[in-house]
Amino acid sequence: MSTRHGVDRRRVLATTVAGIAAFGLTGCTTKLGSLFSKTEPSAPSVTMTDELVFKPRRVTIRAGQTVEWRNDSVLVHTVTADPGIAAKAADVALPADAKAFNSGNVKPKGKFSHMFTTPGTYRYFCIPHEAAGMVGEVIVKP
Amino acid sequence: MSPTPFKKRPTPLAIAIAAMVGLSFGALTPPAAAQQDMKAAIKKMQSLNQTRGYLDAHKSVKKPLGLLGGPITIKLTQNSGGVFVGLPARRALDPTVFGPPKMPRHYAGSPIITGVPPMLRAKAANGGFQTKVLTPFGNKHIVLPNGRLKISAVDATATDAATTKDKVKMVASWQDKKGNTYQVKCCAKMAAHGLEYPTFGGVVTNVIMHGFTGIGTPLMPSEFAYFAFWGFGEIDMNGKVLDKPRLIHGMLTEYVRKQGYALGWDRDVTPTRTQFHLMVPPVKPDMKNGVFRKAPVKTGFVLPNGKQLPFWHVMFETLNVDSTRG
Repeated sequence: MSTRHGVDRRRVLATTVAGIAAFGLTGCTTKLGSLFSKTEPSAPSVTMTDELVFKPRRVTIRAGQTVEWRNDSVLVHTVTADPGIAAKAADVALPADAKAFNSGNVKPKGKFSHMFTTPGTYRYFCIPHEAAGMVGEVIVKP
Repeated sequence: MSPTPFKKRPTPLAIAIAAMVGLSFGALTPPAAAQQDMKAAIKKMQSLNQTRGYLDAHKSVKKPLGLLGGPITIKLTQNSGGVFVGLPARRALDPTVFGPPKMPRHYAGSPIITGVPPMLRAKAANGGFQTKVLTPFGNKHIVLPNGRLKISAVDATATDAATTKDKVKMVASWQDKKGNTYQVKCCAKMAAHGLEYPTFGGVVTNVIMHGFTGIGTPLMPSEFAYFAFWGFGEIDMNGKVLDKPRLIHGMLTEYVRKQGYALGWDRDVTPTRTQFHLMVPPVKPDMKNGVFRKAPVKTGFVLPNGKQLPFWHVMFETLNVDSTRG
C-alpha cells in the first residue's frame, strides 16, 4: 500500500508539476505572443497608382508598425513627409516629436517601407504629383 | 439676362474657323456653303494678331544681340518613369485670360494656336466658358510607360532674328502598352524668329509664357518657363520616320496641373514644382504669309475611336535639371 501510495504520490506530484509547468508555459507563450504582436505585426500596404492617388488614402496603425508603399504604376512617385519640401503646408503633417522622412524616387514596381514609432497623424505627399492631389495619411495610435 | 454675345446659330465665320481647328481632331465637318468663307475668315483673324509689327521688325536682323551675362547651357533628362499624354478635349477658358464675354481678350491670330475668337467660345456645363472644338489643351490624358528624355541646349541669342546661335539637341521617347516606341527628335533647325508670337532666337530662358502673355497659346495658363525652345525635327515610331519636318516646341515650366491632373488656370499654378511639356502642334508654319496652316501630325498613335492622334502633347515630370552660364 505504502509503495502504492508512494507511487501514487509520485505520480500525483509529477502530474501536478507538469500541469503547473504547462500552465505556466502557456501563460508565458500568451504573454510573448502579445508582445510580439505589438512590435512586429503584418505591415499594412499602400499602393501608388497611375491615377495619382495613394490607395488607400488613409491607413490606421499602432505605434511600432511598419507601412509598405508599393508602386504599381508606370510613373515614378515619392512618399514624403517633410514640411521643408511641401508645396502646400496643408499637404504635410507630423506629430510633434516625429522626424520628417522622404523615400526619394520610387520607380515603377519599387517599394518603400517606414516604421512609425511616434503616435499621431502623419500627412505625406508625392513630390512630383503633390499639386495633382497625390496626398495620403497615416494615423498612428499608441 | 445673358451677357453673352454668342449667337445660337453658328455664323459662316464661326463655321469656317471651327473647321480649321476642328477638322484636325475630327470634330467638325464644314458645310459646303461655308467653304468659301473659310479662307477670308481665317485670314481676318490672323491679320488681327498683335505681334505682327514686332515680328516684322525682328525677322530680318542679321546680327542679333546675345544674352546678357553670356550664353546659358541647359541639360535636362528623365531616365525612368512614364509620361502623361494629352488627348483631344475642350478647354475651359480662364476668365482672367480670356476676359468676360462682352470684352473678350486673346481672340486674334490662328484659332487655338494664338487666340480663341468669340464665336469659338461656348457656355460650359459649370456656367463658365469653354472652346467649342477639341484642342490639345484639355483635361483628358493617358499615362504611358518608359518615358525617356535627353536635352542639351544653349540659349545664346536673345531676340527674334534672321539668324541664331541658339541650339537644341533633344531625343524624347515613350512606349504604349503594346510595346510600340514613339520618339520625337529635335532640332535640325531652330525657329530663329516667331511666326505669330516671338521665339527669341529659338531658345528662351526665364520668361513668362502662354496665358495672358501672347507667347504661345493662351489656352495654356500663364506660367514661368525656365527654358523653352521652338525648332524643327522629326516624329518616329518604332525607329521609322513618320513625319518630317515638324515644328516642335518644348518647355520646362512651373507645374500647371491640379487635382486629378486637370489643366489648371492661372490661379492653379504651383510655382515650386516643375514639368517639361513637349508639343508637336497640328499646324505647320506658312513662312511666306507669316501664319500657321492646319496639318495634323502623323503620330502613329491610334485613339480608341480608331483615329490617329493628330498631335503630341507629352509631359515629363521626373526630371534632372542642370544649367551653367557663360
